[in-house]
Amino acid sequence: MDETVAEYIRRTVVKTPRDEIKTMLQKWGFLSETQLQTINFHQIKENISRDVVQLCEENSADIKQAAALDIIYNHIYPNKRMWSVYQMSKRGEETDFFDVTDFKKKFKRRLRSALKNVTINFREYEDDAVWIRIAWGTPYTKPNQYKTSYVVYHSQTPYVFISVSVLKSNLPLLCQALVAASNYHDIREMELRSHSLNSLKDIVFKRYSQNFQTYYPKPLQERNIALESADLRIVQENRNEKERILRVNKEVFGDGPQPKLEFAQYKLETMFKSDPEMNVLDKKEPFRCVVKFSSPHLLESLKSLAPAGMADAPLSPLLTCIPQKARNYFKIRERKGFFPGSFVSP
Amino acid sequence: GVFAHLEMLEAQAHEAALKEEEMEQQEEKLVNLKARVEELRLRRDELRAKVDLQEKRQLGKEEVASGSAQPSAQAMLEWKLRSVKAMLQIFYLTGISGKLTKRGVCFCISTAYESTYLDSYHLDLLTKPEVRIYRHSVPIFIPLEQIAQKYLQTDIRRFLSVLSDHLNAYAGRRYQADQLQEHFSDQIEGTLQRNSLCNLLVFNYNVSRKSQTFPFNARLLYGDPCCSLPTEAIVSC
Repeated sequence: MDETVAEYIRRTVVKTPRDEIKTMLQKWGFLSETQLQTINFHQIKENISRDVVQLCEENSADIKQAAALDIIYNHIYPNKRMWSVYQMSKRGEETDFFDVTDFKKKFKRRLRSALKNVTINFREYEDDAVWIRIAWGTPYTKPNQYKTSYVVYHSQTPYVFISVSVLKSNLPLLCQALVAASNYHDIREMELRSHSLNSLKDIVFKRYSQNFQTYYPKPLQERNIALESADLRIVQENRNEKERILRVNKEVFGDGPQPKLEFAQYKLETMFKSDPEMNVLDKKEPFRCVVKFSSPHLLESLKSLAPAGMADAPLSPLLTCIPQKARNYFKIRERKGFFPGSFVSP
Repeated sequence: GVFAHLEMLEAQAHEAALKEEEMEQQEEKLVNLKARVEELRLRRDELRAKVDLQEKRQLGKEEVASGSAQPSAQAMLEWKLRSVKAMLQIFYLTGISGKLTKRGVCFCISTAYESTYLDSYHLDLLTKPEVRIYRHSVPIFIPLEQIAQKYLQTDIRRFLSVLSDHLNAYAGRRYQADQLQEHFSDQIEGTLQRNSLCNLLVFNYNVSRKSQTFPFNARLLYGDPCCSLPTEAIVSC
């Protein structure tokens, strides 16, 4: 077995939390159940990884299996990477019969024709998602397994989720191969980024809870009980206002959990408006400023602003439009309001 | 003397006669009046009897009514609620139902395959200044924009009908693929290859005959996006 392969597998095992190693190896399926039973998973990770590498040696693992293990690791822990959403477009209207075997063939062929030194591995999952792992080399060097990009693509959708760790220069190549393999014509980067891959999927696939008005009988919510405190001596003075805030909040954010985003960035290119007597800016040029909201869970915190009394309800549409417009990077210019980010097509 | 006496007697007789006549008249009047009274009395009794009968009938009805529905207001309300809910349930079961909103209308398209109810999808439409989609929960791989471009402005019924066909066909194909994986997992070799729209299915399966198993490969193509049955099937050995 290749030294680099052994080291790669060893490092993948070491970075996994100890309690999850066995499950991950089982998902991998390269080592048999009997082989797994010979490993003591309670020892320190260094020792576990050495035992795993030993067994892989016995089974003659090659780079393909090592790459498969890496994809599985990233599929279990996607939030360790930063994901960006790209949108493809096509001109035709014909129904697409997505054949994943065809897709893989076209992708490999297209990418390899531009750059021979790449390692390409695929893995398909139950939710019709194809995971692609690409290890990049250069025209003169072998692929570096530690310089990888990941692509997640759901068939017959125009959205691609890309995580590029380094070597942004390979991005145009990657985009071209994707467009060719999926029968689209164009691809552009959307202004939507987050560590939470599933939340990005929720936003573009519209899987987050939107409050649709229907007559279909839904079970009554119990939130009214929360307003009434157990102690009868405590009286809610502004109950009407509180109820209004909750109602408006629910209309905007819906009932269910919000997609998880870590930040929203607003680039302001607007004129500074001040009292003319203050004379802050002599020249009438836009006041450039960037406002960035960060949070472990931005949308949930925005949702709780009004009920906590920190902001008026309804919140500014600049904040509440994030899931609907599928973006968390905004450029705000004078008078026309929102401006979409620049259209980039390689 | 005598004539005066006779005159006097005549006058007396005349007066007496007059009086008698008056008396007779009065008696006649009295008799008539008495008869009239009798008549009126009879009439009154008749009318009284009629009124009594009417009242008895009313009472009878009220008794019948009040006996079967005691808390009438409450029961009415409950009955009204039940019938409204039933009506809404019927609308929902037709597959396309809607509710007017402040700025337009919100439609709900429900899907089903044979006798199983599947997912529902929503469309929030604005009606002013023109009909357009504000937000929706239709899956991204359903060609909603194309269908909207063709029919939304001109014929909203057709728009909903075509969209409902697409959604129901997709839901049906997906359900069938899921059922195939679930119920025939022992006959299928490896995994079932499918895609988001479930319009291409490829799988390997075994057929056993006389203690020999033959491996087959099936490739099902669903050419019509509004149909949940394949348009092309290629089986190879």
